[in-house]
Amino acid sequence: MKKKIMASLLTVAMTASMLVGCGGSNNGKEAAGGAAAPSGDTQEASQAGDKNEPTDTGSEAASGDAVTIKLFSNLPDRKNGQGLVEQMIIDEYMAANTNVTIEVEALDEEAYKTKFKAYAMDGMPDVVSIWGQPSFLDEVLDAGVLAELNEDDYIDYGFIAGSLDGFKKDGKLYGLPRNTDIMLFYYNQKMFEDNGWKVPTTYDELLTLGENIKAAGITPIAMDGGDGWPMACFLTDIMVKVAGTSYADIISNAVATGDFTAPEIQEATQILVNFADAGMFQVGYDSQDYGTTMNLFTNGQAAMYCMGSWDCSMALNEDIAPEIRDNIRAFTMPVVDGGKGGANDIAAWNGGGYAVSANSAVQAEAIKFLNYMYQPDKLSKYGWENGVGMSAQDQTPYLTGNETDLQKQVMDIMKNASSISGTPINDCGPSAFKTAIESEIQGVSNGSTSVDDFLAAIGAACE
Amino acid sequence: MKKLYSNKLIIFSLVLPGILVFLFAVLAPICLSVYYGFTDYTGMGEAHLIGWDNYVKLFHDSAFGRSLKNSLLLAVGFICIQHPIAIVVAAVLDKLQGKAEGVFRCIYFIPNVISVAVIAYLWKFVYNPDFGLLNNVLAAFGYQGKINWLSQQNAIWSVLIVLIWHGFGWGMLIYYTGIKNIDPVLYEAASIDGAGWWKTFFSITLPLMKPVIQINVTMAIISALKQMETVYLLTNGGPNNSTQFAANYLYQQAFKAFKYGYGNAIGVVFIIICILATVALNTIFREKQEA
Repeated sequence: MKKKIMASLLTVAMTASMLVGCGGSNNGKEAAGGAAAPSGDTQEASQAGDKNEPTDTGSEAASGDAVTIKLFSNLPDRKNGQGLVEQMIIDEYMAANTNVTIEVEALDEEAYKTKFKAYAMDGMPDVVSIWGQPSFLDEVLDAGVLAELNEDDYIDYGFIAGSLDGFKKDGKLYGLPRNTDIMLFYYNQKMFEDNGWKVPTTYDELLTLGENIKAAGITPIAMDGGDGWPMACFLTDIMVKVAGTSYADIISNAVATGDFTAPEIQEATQILVNFADAGMFQVGYDSQDYGTTMNLFTNGQAAMYCMGSWDCSMALNEDIAPEIRDNIRAFTMPVVDGGKGGANDIAAWNGGGYAVSANSAVQAEAIKFLNYMYQPDKLSKYGWENGVGMSAQDQTPYLTGNETDLQKQVMDIMKNASSISGTPINDCGPSAFKTAIESEIQGVSNGSTSVDDFLAAIGAACE
Repeated sequence: MKKLYSNKLIIFSLVLPGILVFLFAVLAPICLSVYYGFTDYTGMGEAHLIGWDNYVKLFHDSAFGRSLKNSLLLAVGFICIQHPIAIVVAAVLDKLQGKAEGVFRCIYFIPNVISVAVIAYLWKFVYNPDFGLLNNVLAAFGYQGKINWLSQQNAIWSVLIVLIWHGFGWGMLIYYTGIKNIDPVLYEAASIDGAGWWKTFFSITLPLMKPVIQINVTMAIISALKQMETVYLLTNGGPNNSTQFAANYLYQQAFKAFKYGYGNAIGVVFIIICILATVALNTIFREKQEA
């Protein structure tokens, strides 16, 4: 009898432990679903494959019914820059629509893209960050995970001409652009003045400037080479000066054929190699990450910093010492001798943006929120007020006169541009091409791969 | 109790969870990997069967070759550098006795307790050419230049040092436990016979540690093959794949390059290599035992 009882007990214990094991994920989901994000806190809200919306959040939710919208964002810093702007709009929307709860899950770019794919296989959050570039969007649109938007709804939203193009496929619109990104050289104006350095107008002057800065014991340019993509944007910048307005055609042709031997691409790559070889970047640039690189500049250890216009918010970032923060200015890549690109042909594009999931259970509400974000007095206005570079919409109504000098400069650069490049080279092909070029560019710039091998390797990745 | 264990229901209920875990968490994913390895699946949308294409491409992929070479280097580093030092340190610890023994055992084990993320960032800062500890120490000794510890040429060695340092505690602890299990009478007998420390070490400690060494070496080789987290956080395989390891490369191809099918092909080859390595090691050790 005793043994039988023990046998039964053991069996029960075993079954119970298994049930607990199975039940764990349910508990987790409930906990995740129940934890709303009322404030600006970044939060790992949902799990992959979590489609368990509370029953009262169906797509037919009448106004007044509780609705939970899940926002998956690539902006983990919710206290500064773009992330702050996004959070401000979310808070406002929730205050205006008390029945709506918006849960934010934010990861930085690489982690974001990885998890995006996991979500794509198993059920997307309702509103997601996307990039209107072939390297990201092609596969995503092929998989049909994004909801189609009605382009006519956005006629009055003031989108800059052509800025929606990257977010379309077969004439249908699947997302909206958030920024206009410009590739810039940020520099420390005070450091330049103190040393008698001048903003270069030609590539040769840039080289001479770099030599002078080095002679003063300072790193000329802080470059995030560890990530690969900033250097690819830099290469784009050079290529625009070499090839001028034919940049986009040359690259799309190269991506289509896998043949990157066009003389313009060769010349631009060679300039990059010579530039790195001349010691214009910090020692070890090819293994340093975004934060470390930016710190070199914001700590005053580097005189210039090569990055996109989204980092204009440095001028308002209180974590940066005022003597540096207030002196940050910017210029664009100077002209290359013999190149077809003029001073006002710039490397700029409409990259990041938002889209709504095709399978969202609250799609109508999600699109409503998306449209709210893009009301001209939201993303554009708040973005401008918080110094987050340029939006993809007309910002002129929101000029306050209190803009930072850096903002004004960037605005002028955009205003004076005679042509903009469009998508940077690394984002022009499939994601396998992007992965290849972002790795190979480290090898070619540090001299361990020849220019020819580099071009052959990135060509092979296009197949 | 004996009857209890001959009850088939009991046996079944005890074994079932293990079998289920194996089936669904190990076997099923491997089978799926084999299937996806033959497809052009991007991770989204539909998968199309493409035969052996992924495998043909893999055998011509220099980055994959590089990652296997790096795994081999790491395994050699573990076996030739980490483990000899670990055995000697374990033997010395054993001789220390008293408080010092516990204190040093703790100190050597500390790196294993710290999370991999912290370790990776710690070393990232140590290696930084501008403000890193290493270059500052060199500067204190009067060296003027800035050494790029994570350059294309140096990076793999810098990464190996971190991995060897980080895994040292485990190896040492297992050897230490092995040494503790050796009958002290043998040492007493040896000292009566007038054997010195080295003589005792080579004639008693090492031979009796054979099974422990076998386990440790097998584990070292498997962990060298599986290496991912530290490399991902420290260099992410860069610059230009010079510190690439198979697991990290698999991750990059599957999840960054949207080549899920290719990633699975890497996974399958990787599993085969791991199994081959384990079988080879077992064979080598068995032959030695029989000899």
